[in-house]
Amino acid sequence: MEKVLLRNIDVPDSHTLAVYKSRGGYRALEQVLRGMSPEKLIEEVKASGLRGRGGAGFPTGMKWGFVPKDSPKPKYVICNADESEPGTFKDRLLIEKDPHATIEGTILAAYAIQSHTAFIYIRGELVFGSKVLQGAIDEAAQAGYLGKNILGSGYDLELILHRGAGAYICGEETGLLSSLEGGRGWPKVKPPFPATHGLFGCPTVVNNVETLATLPWIIDQGAARYAAIGTEKSKGTKLFSVSGHIRKPGVYEVEMGYPFKRFLEEDCGGVPNGRKLKGVIPGGSSMPVLRADELEAVRMDYESMQAAGSFLGSGGVIVMDDSTCMVQAAWNVARFYAHESCGQCTPCREGCHWMEKIFRRIESGEGEKGDLDLVLNISGNITGNTICPFGDAAAWPAAAFIKKYRAEFEAHITQKRCVVI
Amino acid sequence: MESVKLTIDGQEISTAKGKTVIEAAAEAGIAIPHYCYHPKLSIAGNCRMCLVEIEKMPRLQIACNTQASEGMAVQTRSSKVLEARRAVMEFLLINHPLDCPICDQAGECKLQDYYMEHDLKASRFEERKEHERKREIFGPYVVFDGERCIKCTRCVRFLQEVTHTGELAVVNRGDHSTIALFANETVDNPLSGNIVDICPVGALTDRDFRFKVRAWYLKNTPSVCPGCSTGCNITIGSYQNRIARFKPRINEEVNSHWICDEGRYCFHPLTEVERLTSPLVRQEGGLAPTDWETALQAALSGLSAATPLAGVLSGRNTNEEAFLFARLVKKLSSQAAIEAVYYERKLTEVEEILKSPDRSPNFRGAREMGVSSNGGFGPLLEQLAGGKFRAAYIVGEDLLSLVPDGEKIKNALEKLSFLVVQDTRLTPTARLAHVVLPATNFAEKEGTYTNRKGRVQKLNAALVPPAGALQDWEIFARLQSKAGEKIFFQSPAEIFQAIAREVARYQGLSYAAIGDQGVQLSDET
Repeated sequence: MEKVLLRNIDVPDSHTLAVYKSRGGYRALEQVLRGMSPEKLIEEVKASGLRGRGGAGFPTGMKWGFVPKDSPKPKYVICNADESEPGTFKDRLLIEKDPHATIEGTILAAYAIQSHTAFIYIRGELVFGSKVLQGAIDEAAQAGYLGKNILGSGYDLELILHRGAGAYICGEETGLLSSLEGGRGWPKVKPPFPATHGLFGCPTVVNNVETLATLPWIIDQGAARYAAIGTEKSKGTKLFSVSGHIRKPGVYEVEMGYPFKRFLEEDCGGVPNGRKLKGVIPGGSSMPVLRADELEAVRMDYESMQAAGSFLGSGGVIVMDDSTCMVQAAWNVARFYAHESCGQCTPCREGCHWMEKIFRRIESGEGEKGDLDLVLNISGNITGNTICPFGDAAAWPAAAFIKKYRAEFEAHITQKRCVVI
Repeated sequence: MESVKLTIDGQEISTAKGKTVIEAAAEAGIAIPHYCYHPKLSIAGNCRMCLVEIEKMPRLQIACNTQASEGMAVQTRSSKVLEARRAVMEFLLINHPLDCPICDQAGECKLQDYYMEHDLKASRFEERKEHERKREIFGPYVVFDGERCIKCTRCVRFLQEVTHTGELAVVNRGDHSTIALFANETVDNPLSGNIVDICPVGALTDRDFRFKVRAWYLKNTPSVCPGCSTGCNITIGSYQNRIARFKPRINEEVNSHWICDEGRYCFHPLTEVERLTSPLVRQEGGLAPTDWETALQAALSGLSAATPLAGVLSGRNTNEEAFLFARLVKKLSSQAAIEAVYYERKLTEVEEILKSPDRSPNFRGAREMGVSSNGGFGPLLEQLAGGKFRAAYIVGEDLLSLVPDGEKIKNALEKLSFLVVQDTRLTPTARLAHVVLPATNFAEKEGTYTNRKGRVQKLNAALVPPAGALQDWEIFARLQSKAGEKIFFQSPAEIFQAIAREVARYQGLSYAAIGDQGVQLSDET
C-alpha cells in the first residue's frame, strides 16, 4: 500500500522545509494558489471522500461547505492538535516528524473557506512537538508559504500556534474554541454550530491534524486516487496508534477496510508472552471495548467498526491480553473521565464521578449486588443528555466493560476478589 | 411579527418566530422544569433539566436552546422525558446535602419542588459525598454554600451580563467545580442581592434574611419599593407584623426581575423604629401624650393662627395623602408654601441600571397632586432656614437629619410660632414640635405612587399600624373636616377616584385598574 500520511517520516530531517519540499511538499499549495478556486478545492476534497480523523468521521469537504461565504465576519481555521484521547498518539508523530504536511493542509483548508487567520491548538504537554511545529511555521513563513501575498497569489494567511493548558476537554471542538478565546475550556451549547458561530462568534472550521495532513496528498495526487483507496464509504488510509499487550506497538498507516484481526496478528505481531487476546478498545479509550471473539469479521473502517458495536474513533487501539482485570481496566478508564469531566453540565459532572466511585468500590472488593445495573443505568442516563460528546465518551466504555465481561465483575462482587490476576 | 405553529404535549400553540420551546411552552401555560435557564440571562444549557422530546430528533433536546419551528411536535411529559428529568434530579442530589430542615432555602427551593414532582425516590447513591466550602462570605449581603450549589451559573452570568461587574467565576473541574470569587473581589455591587433571588437552590442566601423566618411562614404582599422614584415592584415578606424581606416582583416596564440592594434593605430604617403610639402636645415641661381630638384641634388652631405656613411632605407619602395634604395646607393658609422632599445624589454606572438619584419614591406624584408651589424643595428649605415662615407642618421626614446644615434648620424651627410634625417616631425634628401626630409607614398603608417615569403603581398594606397611630390620609381628612371642609373619604380608593376626577393627568384612571403592574400616565411613553 502506498503511504499517504507516513510517506516522509522515515527520511532523515523530515521535519525540515528542505526535505519536505524535496518530497513534493507544498506542490499542492502552489497548484491551488496558481488557479484553483476555493469552490473547486472544496469540491475536490468532497470528491476524495475524506472524513474527519478526530473521531467523529464527519466528511471534511461537507464541513467546509457549511461555512457561509457571504459572512462579513472574519473566518477561522483551527487545526486541532490537542490529541489527548488515551491510547492515541498518531498526531504527535505527524507533528514531530512531518509538521509541514499539517501546515500545508491547514493553509489549504484556510484557502478553501477564505480564512486569513488560522490557529494550531496544540496539547500543552506536547512541548517537543510545539517546538518542531513553531520552527516549521517560521520556516514556511520565511519561504513565503505564510503571511501576506502567499506565492504572489494575493492570498494572505497568518498561522498562530497556541499551546493548550492541559485539559482533555479542550480537544472537543467547542471546548477548544472556548479555551482559545481565553475562557474556561467549556464546550459550547449547540446550536449555533462553529461553522457559523465558532471562534469569537465567527465562522470557523476545526479539523484534526491527521485530516489536514492528508490534504496535500489528495490535491497533489488527485481526489480520485485517494478515493480509490479504502472502502466504498470509508475512503483512504487511516493512522492507528497501537498500544498495550502487543508485540509491536506504534503508529500504523492502514488502508480503510483492512481486516482488524490480521492487522493485530500479522502487522502488529500479536499478543506477546504466549498470552491470549482478551479484548481490544479500537478507537481510543472512549469507545466501547470489543471482546476477542467479536473481532473475527471486523474491518478497520467506520462502518464495520460500528456494525461490531464500537467505533473507529481516533484509531487508538488498546490491546488487552488475558492477564488484564477488566474491572481494573474499567475503573481506570472511568477514573480518567471523572477527572477530565469539565463539570459544566449535570449528567456528566455528577455521573462520571458516581460511576468511578462504584467501579473503585467493586475493584477493591466492596461491590454490592445491584452495582452493575446501577452503573448501566447511570451510563444510560448520561448518554445523549449532555452538552458535548464527552458524556457519551465516559458512558459508553463503562457500559461496554460491564456488558462484555459481566461475569468478571460479578466475581469481584460476590467473591470479593479478582478471578483474573 | 412572523409566527410559527407547533404542538406541545398535543396542544397547538402559535408563537413568535425566534422564540425557544421553553418560552413558547410558558406562554401556553406549560411549565418546563429548569434551573439554569433564566429569561433575562444568556442560555447556559448546563442543568439539562429542561430536556424534551421532539419528533424526528433522536436525542432529547434542551427546551431552553431549541427554537420553536413550524410543525414541531414537542413532548414535555413523555416517559423518556420524565426518566431523563428523574435522572437529572438524581444527579443533582447525589452530592447535595440532604439537610433541608437546616437550609434557609427550604420551602422555596427548586430542588425540593422538582424532587417532589419528578423523583420522589430514595437515593441510590451510597458513596462518599464530595465536600465543599460552606458559609463563605461573598459580599455584604450574600453568603455561599458550595455544597448546595448546582453550578447553574445564574449568579456568574448575572454579574457578567447585568451588572458587568464579574466578581464570580466557576473554578475547578468535574464534581469539584464550584463558584468562587476572583482574587481580592467581593460581590458588593449595588445590585448584589439579586444573585440570591435567582439562585434556584440554597447556595446563595441573604445574610440579612437567612434564618430569621421560614419561607412558608411569610405573608407576601405585592407593593412598591419606597427607596427611590424608580418604583421597583416588590413583594414584602412579613412575619408577626414585621418586614422580613423585600423580593423583586417582575414588572418589565419598571424593574424587570431586579431590585437594588439599597431598596432591598431600606425597610430597616423605615420600619424598625420606636413607634409613636399617641399624639403629643407641647405643654410646660415638654411634649405630653394626649387624645387625637385634642391634638388635632391644637394643630388646627395653631397652624391657622400663624401665617405664612410651610407644608413639607415626605416623598414617601402616597398620591392620595399628597392630594389631601395640598388641599389642607391651602385651606389653612392662603399664603402657604408647600413642597415634597426631594434630593439628588450622584449614581455610579451600576447604580444607574435601576436606581434614581433621589430617595423620594413619589416626588412626582406629590407634585402632580399639588404639593408644589415654591419652585422646589431646595428654595423652600432656604426660606424656612431664613425665617420666612411663622408656622410649618412637616410630614414624614426628619428635616434636621436630612439636610447637611441641620443646625441652621433647627434654629429656624425653634423660632417658629407653631410647628406640627407628623411621623412614625419621635424624630429630632418632632421634638421641636408643638403638636406631634403619630402616622404610618409605607408598609402599613395602601395607596399609589407615581414613579419618575409617570407610572402609577399601587402600595398594599403588609403590616398593621400600631394602636394610637392613624393613617396619614385620615389625619389630613380629619383636619380638613375640622376646618370646615366637607370630606367623605372612607379609603385611599375613594380619594383616588377624586384624583381621577380632579387632576388632569390622572383623568379616567381607576384604582382597581392599576392592578399589580401599574398604569402609565397617558401622555408618557
